[in-house]
Amino acid sequence: MTTSAKGSSWQLQLLLLPCVLLIGALVVYPALYSIYLSLTNASLVGVAATHPRFVGMGNYMRLFTDGGFWHSLFVTFWFVLGSAVIGQFVLGLASALLLRRPLRFKNLFNSIILLPNAVPEVVAGYIWISMLAGGAHATLNRLLGTIGISSVSWLEQFPLIMIIVANTWRGIASAMILMTAGLSAVPPEVSEAARIDGASPRQIFRFITLPLIMPTIFLYMLVSTVTTISIFGFIYALTRGGPGNATEIISIYIYNQSFTTFQLGYGSAVAAVTLVISMAIGLVYVRVLKVEV
Amino acid sequence: MFRKIILTGIAMTSALAIASAQTKTIRIAEHRQARIDALKVVVPDIEKKYNVHIEVVEYPAPEKDYLTKLLTELGAGNAPDIFNVPHGPDVADVIAAGYVAPITTELKAWDGYSQLFDVGKAIATSKDGQIYALPAMLDVMQIYYRRDILEKAGISTEQPKTWAELLDRAKEIKTKTGAYGLLFPAGVAWGTGSFEEGFRLLIVGTSTPQIAADDGKLNVTGQGIKDAFGFYAQLINSDLMPIQPLLEPEPWVVPKYEMFPAGKLAATTGGSWGYIYDWGAQSKNPIPNVTQVVGTWDVPGEQGGKYALVDLNGPWLVNAKSPDVALAKKVMLELASVKADVAYAQNLGNIPGRADAAADPDFQKQTELVPILDALKKGSGTYLKTAEGFSAVAEGVGRATDALLRKKTDATGAQKILVDYVKEVLGNDAIK
Repeated sequence: MTTSAKGSSWQLQLLLLPCVLLIGALVVYPALYSIYLSLTNASLVGVAATHPRFVGMGNYMRLFTDGGFWHSLFVTFWFVLGSAVIGQFVLGLASALLLRRPLRFKNLFNSIILLPNAVPEVVAGYIWISMLAGGAHATLNRLLGTIGISSVSWLEQFPLIMIIVANTWRGIASAMILMTAGLSAVPPEVSEAARIDGASPRQIFRFITLPLIMPTIFLYMLVSTVTTISIFGFIYALTRGGPGNATEIISIYIYNQSFTTFQLGYGSAVAAVTLVISMAIGLVYVRVLKVEV
Repeated sequence: MFRKIILTGIAMTSALAIASAQTKTIRIAEHRQARIDALKVVVPDIEKKYNVHIEVVEYPAPEKDYLTKLLTELGAGNAPDIFNVPHGPDVADVIAAGYVAPITTELKAWDGYSQLFDVGKAIATSKDGQIYALPAMLDVMQIYYRRDILEKAGISTEQPKTWAELLDRAKEIKTKTGAYGLLFPAGVAWGTGSFEEGFRLLIVGTSTPQIAADDGKLNVTGQGIKDAFGFYAQLINSDLMPIQPLLEPEPWVVPKYEMFPAGKLAATTGGSWGYIYDWGAQSKNPIPNVTQVVGTWDVPGEQGGKYALVDLNGPWLVNAKSPDVALAKKVMLELASVKADVAYAQNLGNIPGRADAAADPDFQKQTELVPILDALKKGSGTYLKTAEGFSAVAEGVGRATDALLRKKTDATGAQKILVDYVKEVLGNDAIK
């Protein structure tokens, strides 16, 4: 390495230092502290609040026999699959394809799709509560009432489906933006050549467009899966994990263990396991599927 | 001239700096606008008396969120000097954590001590004999019923003598008026209120009337617990209380603030605040002539007896890690002055924790509350002893009654949910 290259490397490291320090202080240290907490019986109340006891792997052992934890993982799986992997992706891709075409009210459609992202998550949660609440005065029931359908307690009778629908609504814009970026990278002359060769629009999409945007799709899947696993505020505002524990996704389960039952140690253990699961999913996308991100 | 101005400026700045250095700041945590407004009534007097600057730290309104934020700050060591917890049963858990400084000596030496009600002192005394909580305000819990609706329908307004009689009364209301007969708060969404405003009112009238045993363990396996869940099950399964609103966020809003004023719910448990905050002067949906229209029953015992349950309301505590614990204690005692008590009574409808508040002209204007305070002066009022772990019991009751609301279990199953939850949180050893 030449002297100027060494100097340049040193300057780069110096430039990165503030970022490294911030990540260390705000991400790495809390994560390590959380892992330490997970090995204790730390609590927000009682004797364990000021004098937490080291319990080794006790919290992790308890976790594997905790039906509530497994249930929340199960709920999270369907929530991520339904809203991020299927709902947001399919509708986001469809919106991106639709909005590539010359449309009369293109800007209006764009605004409508982007609007959910502009609403704060707690406000969005309360909007959906007023939409889906039981009783004749709720928005959806009132609309259905006009065609003679009696009131349904949507959040009571179909809670998981409803949070999937709500989260799909909220995430379409992100998916659409990413898919639009992917589609714009597809050279138009490739599609044009296929069309001249007699390929139908469906065949062009299936055999040309889709393979070419596959890296974008996998990048979206990686980002949306990991971020959907960690969603909290929107669903907490909407259902608080209820009714019962029907919508208790893993982030709400962690919150409930840590701040409703005040068991910081156990909540940290659940958080640590969730982190491992998220990392494993990320590795699957990045390594097994050979995606370059 | 210019030099004079500069020198004057320096002198004034120095004087201000010295004055601000001498004035200490005490931070007081409070939540809910009505409570914050009441606190601010007495802040100027306290600042003047102790030459102290008081900063009122306003917290989010829902009690559960307030408590969570407060506990997090207490754990981190940066909580305000003085704070209150929403309900008496929270006190034992906060004390056990070591967050609170004892006030036994200061309270007993305070000139207002002799005026405090004995029931308040008894509830505030911890199992180690120390007093940590200031019993400034009290809750008095009873059953509130729509006298006008019952009389119009020819239904007795006499005090029910047993649970069976209370249930029969609720059934009669449903049959004759179509209104729901009786509400006991239940479910997870109501938070600790399912325990504080509902379940414990029943427990004191059962064969196992206390949950906290003398050895500090929790008796949640008693017959009384099962019977209380059975009472809930009968109310729910007989369609005597509204269920759907209790499963939604802020479950108290529809039954308490809409159905009861509209006469669609004829009786509900509640505290003295009902006459002021829920349906009285401070209500957004007041009931005209509320004390005439709304009557009260004590909660009957399972087989007899009657109980008006008393508890500390928002008991004040001093942060053990306050930079100036001694000053914080002095300031806190002022929060139990007659003026402070009356301000809280006017805004919220809670009952002053001291007898001499009854003579205050402003309190006398609270005609709804005067008879309740008079009853306390005569020594009425039952209370549930608390112990470390009561937060878990309250949450467990919420979960158990939630399952009852959804008709997923019966009384035995509900008790199992409670026991399993308490064991999970506190360990097997915590249960008697």
